[in-house]
Amino acid sequence: MTFGRSGHREKMLLVDITSMIDVVFLLIIFFMVAAQFARTTRAELNLPQEPGEQDQQAEEAGLVINILADGTIIVNERAVELDELAALVQAEIDALPDHDARQVKLLLRADRNNDTSRLNQVLIRLQDMEVGAARLATEVPR
Amino acid sequence: MRIRARQTRRRVERITLNLASMIDVTFLLLIYFMVTTVLAKQEDRLSPTLQTERESASGELSDFQPQIVTVLLVDGQPAYQLGPNIYRDKQALREALGGLPKTAGVFVHVHNQIPVGFAVAAIQSARDAGFDQVTYVPAK
Repeated sequence: MTFGRSGHREKMLLVDITSMIDVVFLLIIFFMVAAQFARTTRAELNLPQEPGEQDQQAEEAGLVINILADGTIIVNERAVELDELAALVQAEIDALPDHDARQVKLLLRADRNNDTSRLNQVLIRLQDMEVGAARLATEVPR
Repeated sequence: MRIRARQTRRRVERITLNLASMIDVTFLLLIYFMVTTVLAKQEDRLSPTLQTERESASGELSDFQPQIVTVLLVDGQPAYQLGPNIYRDKQALREALGGLPKTAGVFVHVHNQIPVGFAVAAIQSARDAGFDQVTYVPAK
């Protein structure tokens, strides 16, 4: 009575993970792009919760003026006073081909918990510079 | 004379590359970016025209009188005044504006010491009521 060898052969389990690595890298790139790295123009604040004009056309923001809850005016991550703000707006106007203040693009982001004193000061100064319209940023409620 | 070609045996050397560490780092990066990604809140805008108090009172606009909404404090609380009527919320203001003529637009006269959200709601209500011409008049 002889027993033959069972003839086991160790089989290597081959799993091709090339596709999985591709997908993982795609996901990494997606989250890297989607991550909001230091948005320098838009300060962290609570905007008024209104649906807005719901205009589907994308529009250039232009100069973004942030007004925090304590009344601080932030432009490009820097706190400015009204005179300096006026200078920045004037620079935007001067950069336009026809120097028309009515065509300058401004976006005002005011904290909803702040009172309108500071906002009114800014708007009066803008109106003195003959800026015809100002866009008020809102947060679309979910 | 037989000539037999030699069949040289070539050993194919397999080059192995251990990807385990790279996959570990890749997953760590993925988890990091998934956790740290902050989705931005959707923003929109309202675009009222600007006018100061002195211009709005000069009567230079047109023969048609625009509607005037005054945002002010009444008994210490913010309210909307449209003519002789006082409204405390934007829905009531929108309903009141809805029945008014819209040809000449609406002026939103905003006093100081009013919450910004309350003032912006007046502009939104005017838009929702169908006014295309909305003018923001800041109080001095």
